Amino acid sequence: MSNPARRTNPGYGRWTPFWFLAPAVVALFLIGIYPTLFALVTSLRQYNLTRSRDGFPFVGLANYQAVLSDPTFWDTLARTARFFLVVMPVEIALGLCVALLLHRPGLNFLRALARVTLVIPLATTYAVVGLLGRLVFNRDFGVANSFINLFGFPALDWLGNSAGAFAAICVMDVWQWTPFCALIFLSGLSMVPVEIEEAAKLETTSHWALLTHVQLPYLLPGFTAMLILRSADVLKLFDVVFTMTRGGPGAATELISIYIQRVGFRVFDLGTASAQALLLLVITILLARLYIRFFYREIE
Amino acid sequence: MKLVRNTVSAIAMIAAGAIASAVPASAAWDIAKAAAPYKGTQLNVIFLDRPGYRAIIKLLPEFEKQTGIKVNYEIVPYENTREKEVLNFNAKGDLSIALVDLVWIGEYAENGWIVPVDKFTADASITDPNLNLKGFFPLLLDAFGSWGGKTYGLPFDNYSGLLFYNKCMLKDAGFDKPPATWDELAKTYAPKLTNKDKKQYGYALQSLRGETQSADSFMRSLWPHGGSLLDKSFHSNLTSKESQAGLKFRQDLMQYMPPGVVSWDHAEAVNALAQNQVAMITEWSAFYSTLTDPKTSKLGDCLAVAPEPTGEAGRLPALGGFSLAVASQAPEKEQKAAWIFIQWATSEDIAKPYVEAGGVSGRMAVYDDPAIKATFKFVEPMVASWKKGVPEFRPRFPAWPAISEVVAEFGSKMMLGEVTTENGAKEIGTRMEAILQKEGYYDGKKALLQ
Repeated sequence: MSNPARRTNPGYGRWTPFWFLAPAVVALFLIGIYPTLFALVTSLRQYNLTRSRDGFPFVGLANYQAVLSDPTFWDTLARTARFFLVVMPVEIALGLCVALLLHRPGLNFLRALARVTLVIPLATTYAVVGLLGRLVFNRDFGVANSFINLFGFPALDWLGNSAGAFAAICVMDVWQWTPFCALIFLSGLSMVPVEIEEAAKLETTSHWALLTHVQLPYLLPGFTAMLILRSADVLKLFDVVFTMTRGGPGAATELISIYIQRVGFRVFDLGTASAQALLLLVITILLARLYIRFFYREIE
Repeated sequence: MKLVRNTVSAIAMIAAGAIASAVPASAAWDIAKAAAPYKGTQLNVIFLDRPGYRAIIKLLPEFEKQTGIKVNYEIVPYENTREKEVLNFNAKGDLSIALVDLVWIGEYAENGWIVPVDKFTADASITDPNLNLKGFFPLLLDAFGSWGGKTYGLPFDNYSGLLFYNKCMLKDAGFDKPPATWDELAKTYAPKLTNKDKKQYGYALQSLRGETQSADSFMRSLWPHGGSLLDKSFHSNLTSKESQAGLKFRQDLMQYMPPGVVSWDHAEAVNALAQNQVAMITEWSAFYSTLTDPKTSKLGDCLAVAPEPTGEAGRLPALGGFSLAVASQAPEKEQKAAWIFIQWATSEDIAKPYVEAGGVSGRMAVYDDPAIKATFKFVEPMVASWKKGVPEFRPRFPAWPAISEVVAEFGSKMMLGEVTTENGAKEIGTRMEAILQKEGYYDGKKALLQ
């Protein structure tokens, strides 16, 4: 069946949809696809900007080989995985609690206010979160020590020891990203049909049963998206950690993105840094496929 | 009285006239005339948010008025400066002047990003006859501005490591002078000045991972004890007896430092002294103005400054600073205008107003001025430090940034006790030698310059 608009509008031709899509495709090509292709080419060359006088010869897979045999790459990747495994469950649990609280009927004004305030950490620039972290975890004046002092614990030197610094960056990540999880869960909860939810409440008084049997299927698509976005985000997490600890003390908070930045913009070995970045891209895509396979369910 | 005053004025005028006529070259140099062909030229340079740059920014209008050359500066954090400059030079960007940290000079010179000054000094129309390169402290001109026997940049923002201390705290502990040696600092002064219950510490050494760890903390621990990063054949010297002694000394001294110095940058160390939390720090001379400013420091008259203590190998304080060099990517006309600006900014004429505005000049003559000596307490110890020092306090070859990363990682791990000084030194040595091998230092492709 032909579209009535095409019949009535003489300006609508065969190429009209193309022209509407073209700006977005061109923009995507320029800011997404071209740099990725450039990184791919760079990763196959010896591309050190501080040795540009030597040229940028083709070296095949040598950069990939160097990355895969570099113990620091694997150490930082393992540290990043550990970071993800610490922060993600906490963010999911807290985000779900917040979402369930906001989903309860009543207290409309407070709920509206809470929804707005949830956006504040998300809207805060990463570097500012890092600077806030330096203040919060300052040994002498930070609120973190004031808080633990209330419970009789002695002041800790958070950023001056390995475990403390790692905990500090985890706390700041949880502070910034729990609201994101809460909002995603809240949007999932708002999709549960009211009549089904009310019928279920008549059937059971158990919140757990309501959550797992009625609400959970509506939460899974958002949950999958959340896992994909946060995995990609943690793999490229840089600003917060760099401003808080610069990857130190020692290598305690050196996540993979900090390491790639060092290789790329301190050593200026862009060939190796591109190979590292592309390997991360592959890891992200693999993780996304796994999440979709194991967690994503269509709502029937 | 009036007669005396008039006589003195007349003598002064005659003397000034006599000096002017005795220096005909000086009269011949007219910066406005030299700059006339370049009037309207725009120069682009990166500056840091530090006292030396704020000082020259204050004086800039005078230069622009005299010459008609406009200097556009962008203020960038130190950590990003090299990144910006290297990208700019590779992209043939708009920078006409390179701000060169002493550890970048080898990299910039070997890549041909900066122009040797002899290209300009040969041209009398753009060179001040009173340029007087010998008027710079030789150590500074050598370390900050020269590579492979050629001079590229003129020392502009100059630092020496100094011992800043709270003389009131020292006096209360029974000391009427600062420690002369590192041994004395660690064994006599620091124990008496540390009271952990009162959160008061004898000494603090800024050791944040990055250049602060590798330069301020790690290298400072090596040199005075006779150690060094590299031996003469450019292999690691970190497992030598002297280097290990220096690294162990730092570990022992940590008991008198505030907890968490491994995460301290310059700001934290300076602030700890300014707020009476530590009695002594070794910091760059550039922080003098922060420590004397009542807005940022409680020290007042308790602030005192001395040269860094000596070690078994003598007084080898930290050395740092920046030179200004003409960028080779700039068009010819811009290069000449840049050279005129660099001469002016580092000249003997501007040295006094520059120091008075908060900068630290690399010119020797200005520190003979009694008024400067009386006003700025850091001058005498700094001049003493610059009389002897090691230009390669940190190696200035192109491989340093990569090596600095390795040193910073394992230097911090040593301080945290995650590796021993022996194992850490071995790790640094292995990785550093791999970097130097790749650079071609072991197969005779490159001269062993640092």
